[in-house]
Amino acid sequence: MSVTITFLRPFARFWVPFTLHRKRKDLCSTILQRYMSSKIPAVFSPLKENASSPEQLELDGWKTTMKSSVQEVVSTSSSSKDEDPLAATRELIETWRLLGKDVPEHINEEQLKTFMECASKSSKKKYLRYLYIRENRKKADQRNKEIKAAAKAAAKKNTLIETTEEKKQQNFLFLRLWDIAMNTAMNWRVAQAMQFGQPLVFDMAYHDNMKPREMRNTIFQLSASEGYNRRNVDPFHIYFCNLKVDGAYYRELIKHYGEKWDKLFLTATEKSLVDLFPKDNIVYLTADSPNVMTTFKHDKIYVIGSFVDLNMQPGTSLAKAKRLKLATERLPLDKYLRWGAGNKNLTLDQMMQILLCLKNTGSWEEALKFVPSRKHIGYMEISRHSQEFASRLKKSEAFNSFPKGSLNVCTKKRWRE
Amino acid sequence: MTYSLFGFRSFHKVWKSNLNLGLGSGYSHVCLLTDYCGLRKQQRWFYLATVSSQNTKAKSLRNAKAKYLGEGDEGSDKQVSSHSLHLFAAGSAKKRSQMNPQSEGHALPPPRNTIQLPATPLNSEEWDKLKEDWEGKANFENWISSQLVHFHSSVDVAKSLLAWVAAKNSGIIEYNLLVKYLSLCVFHKQTAEVIDVYEIMKARYKSLDFGGYKLLIQGLIHSDRWREALLLLEEIKKIMIPSPQNYNDCIQGALLNQDVNVAWKLYQELLSYDLIPLLKTLKAFFDFGKDIKDDQYSNKLINILFYLRDNQLYPGESFAQSIKTWFESVPGEQWKGRFTTIQKSGQCLGCGKTMESIHLSPEEYEFLKGKVMRDVIDGGDQYKKTTPKELARFQNFVKNHPPFDIAIDGLNVAKMFPKLRESQVLSNVVSHLAKQNLRLLVLGRKHMLVHGSRWRRNEMEEVQKQASCFFADNISKDDPFLLYAAMHSGNHCKIITKDLMRDHKACLRDVKTQRLFFKWQQGHQLEIINRFLGSKIIFQHIPSHDTVVQTTGDSWHIPYDEDMVERCSYEVPTK
Repeated sequence: MSVTITFLRPFARFWVPFTLHRKRKDLCSTILQRYMSSKIPAVFSPLKENASSPEQLELDGWKTTMKSSVQEVVSTSSSSKDEDPLAATRELIETWRLLGKDVPEHINEEQLKTFMECASKSSKKKYLRYLYIRENRKKADQRNKEIKAAAKAAAKKNTLIETTEEKKQQNFLFLRLWDIAMNTAMNWRVAQAMQFGQPLVFDMAYHDNMKPREMRNTIFQLSASEGYNRRNVDPFHIYFCNLKVDGAYYRELIKHYGEKWDKLFLTATEKSLVDLFPKDNIVYLTADSPNVMTTFKHDKIYVIGSFVDLNMQPGTSLAKAKRLKLATERLPLDKYLRWGAGNKNLTLDQMMQILLCLKNTGSWEEALKFVPSRKHIGYMEISRHSQEFASRLKKSEAFNSFPKGSLNVCTKKRWRE
Repeated sequence: MTYSLFGFRSFHKVWKSNLNLGLGSGYSHVCLLTDYCGLRKQQRWFYLATVSSQNTKAKSLRNAKAKYLGEGDEGSDKQVSSHSLHLFAAGSAKKRSQMNPQSEGHALPPPRNTIQLPATPLNSEEWDKLKEDWEGKANFENWISSQLVHFHSSVDVAKSLLAWVAAKNSGIIEYNLLVKYLSLCVFHKQTAEVIDVYEIMKARYKSLDFGGYKLLIQGLIHSDRWREALLLLEEIKKIMIPSPQNYNDCIQGALLNQDVNVAWKLYQELLSYDLIPLLKTLKAFFDFGKDIKDDQYSNKLINILFYLRDNQLYPGESFAQSIKTWFESVPGEQWKGRFTTIQKSGQCLGCGKTMESIHLSPEEYEFLKGKVMRDVIDGGDQYKKTTPKELARFQNFVKNHPPFDIAIDGLNVAKMFPKLRESQVLSNVVSHLAKQNLRLLVLGRKHMLVHGSRWRRNEMEEVQKQASCFFADNISKDDPFLLYAAMHSGNHCKIITKDLMRDHKACLRDVKTQRLFFKWQQGHQLEIINRFLGSKIIFQHIPSHDTVVQTTGDSWHIPYDEDMVERCSYEVPTK
């Protein structure tokens, strides 16, 4: 094929203007006639003479345009590029994009390599989809940024005009340094927590059970929960236990936090949680636990496994707690919520918010507001015991309605006296 | 649109009624016999349990061929009338799901923006007008072309659409429109058009997507340029492993053009990629084999049958027919094939031969035992399902007892009748079995020993008198222990549970072990099928034979799937 192209290429430029041969002209007229009387369906017949439909005409013309366009491309690119799997993959992704599939517009070498390393077809598709969604998000953010910048510029113009109109001295109490002030205040508080706060342990021993994607999610959730803790009135003293230096976890954390990592007010150790705290005080929180957490105890050390499980490994954290012979508890979700759909494993930041809320208020209804509302239908109105009590009251009321009325009369009389 | 919907709904009804009618059981195999060993049967008979409106014609035809024996269908009739299906029989999962009806609202698709699809080619003004009438969000050309593909319009209509698009875009047609047009051409078998599009694509694009390649291959194999389809297959290989469908098309093409060597080469390649060939592909080999009188070719076909056996694949109904006709066409060896069922005793009704036993060979048994111990119970982390202490306790327990005859999953059995007290059910079952002088093992959890409203102490004590019991921790899994205890006791030991053990089967790493496990489970799992706890407890019948493609050299027995019955992966064909 390429040979023919090369052969035709020198002539292509001359041919383009004269593509319509004499035959073609005749055909054009016949086709036009046929289209004018469109009620007669075009019958497909094996005879090429009749059947060279308009589409073919178009496509032939279009072929020549194509050849002239390809000519420039091919002359720059070597033919060995065809053999290169990377280039072929790039081409494939491009065709997929033409088909309107969810694939990214731009893809760099590293991503291509990851794509090639994906084991199966479906994993490749998933990865491309992920890239596509990420790219779309970036684009949308960019657009929003531009819109905001334009609005800001317009607002600035307006304010400038206003300030020129009225140049008044205004008296303020504070300089505008809120963010910094807030940060320092938070840091003081977290520093206090490091000295006197209740420990809350994140168990980092699950790095072997996670794929890169889960790892990313875990890091994100960890940083979110650290943020919630910092903003709280009475923060926990966070421990990252079993954090191997130069492990995958550690690298990801450093990558995420950058320079801030050394300035974080938390304790990161390679030690196990059993070495740090007495065993009797540790409570391992896991959704698989048979024991339900009734109250938040301020003298216990709660442990959360920092583990995002996307591929069905039930009982991993329970097994770990069993091995270390630790007490385990789970949140009383079924008791307080009418559970709808979804996994009872909550994310790390949700757990953090629930625990902080329990620590400060102690009411489960308040704390379980942080459970995603999509997962449950609503709160249990009254617990079963009190429901029975209420129904008993109602029954007695119905039974004693008459004497009750007379009693009321009596009381009124007494009042009068 | 409405017409097609109506059709679909009525079809759905037909399907349902068929299911209710034709959930027959009984085992039917293609039984093939040679006569050079003197085993020539005079009577031929044919049995079909399903009575569906659609294959009566076929049935009558076959009946005309076969003399009908009246005595053979009694045993099978009994099976049909029994309302509960075998745990592992094809279609029983479907039936079970119908027994617990769920509120399944068959919502009709919302009324869509309907445009009367053109039946004849339109000119550009008409297309313009259509576009104005259409008020959708998507790209009109894309939408209309997908509709055309969906309703299989004529190629000419699509052609006129492309011409209109090309006229608008100065002769350039987008790739996705081209692919849709190509799929229409392939559907209508317009080979000349396919070749034209192929030329265009070759010129225009350096590489295509897999959908495009697939369509081109499908289109080209019917033409005389079918060898180019193989080149396209090579193109796919550069990036990814081709799908079994791609190979199927190429092999079909090679067979169409009488190139047997290429077909077999492709088939070997397909197997080397660890892909599972489509049954269509294998059927094509058998269909083609009728015209070939060649020992090599027939040996390869026999190898295909062995492949089916090793991978526990079951041919479909038409494939079974092809196999039958191929065998009967083999010259020199007068094969005779019949569609029959297998009796409960494991004998083929066609020839009276006994099928292969369901029991595993000793090596397989040991292998499976080790695997269950290592993967299901231990699984790399003993704490997940049990604790090492408990495991040691259990192993001692098993060692100190003589082999059991029956291992009972206490909790599963006890919870079978929700209206009755658990301990009562369990003690009933245990005493019933103990009367038969069987050595019993009851597996449970420790909370069963705590006296309460559901678990009476006196009843539990009775159970412990009649059977040896092992109680695991409340947070341990009891099923793995059940499996191991049964396997440790030996081949005669059965287990009683309703659990299909699919999660434990999934713990086994490779497919081969899973199949062994499934075979063991078929042969050793008893299921109580009483609806009410009466005096007598009825167990599900255990098949004595293995449902798999099998041979004795001069005969073949091949189970097959019927077209009208859905089968789950953990069930076996009954025919």
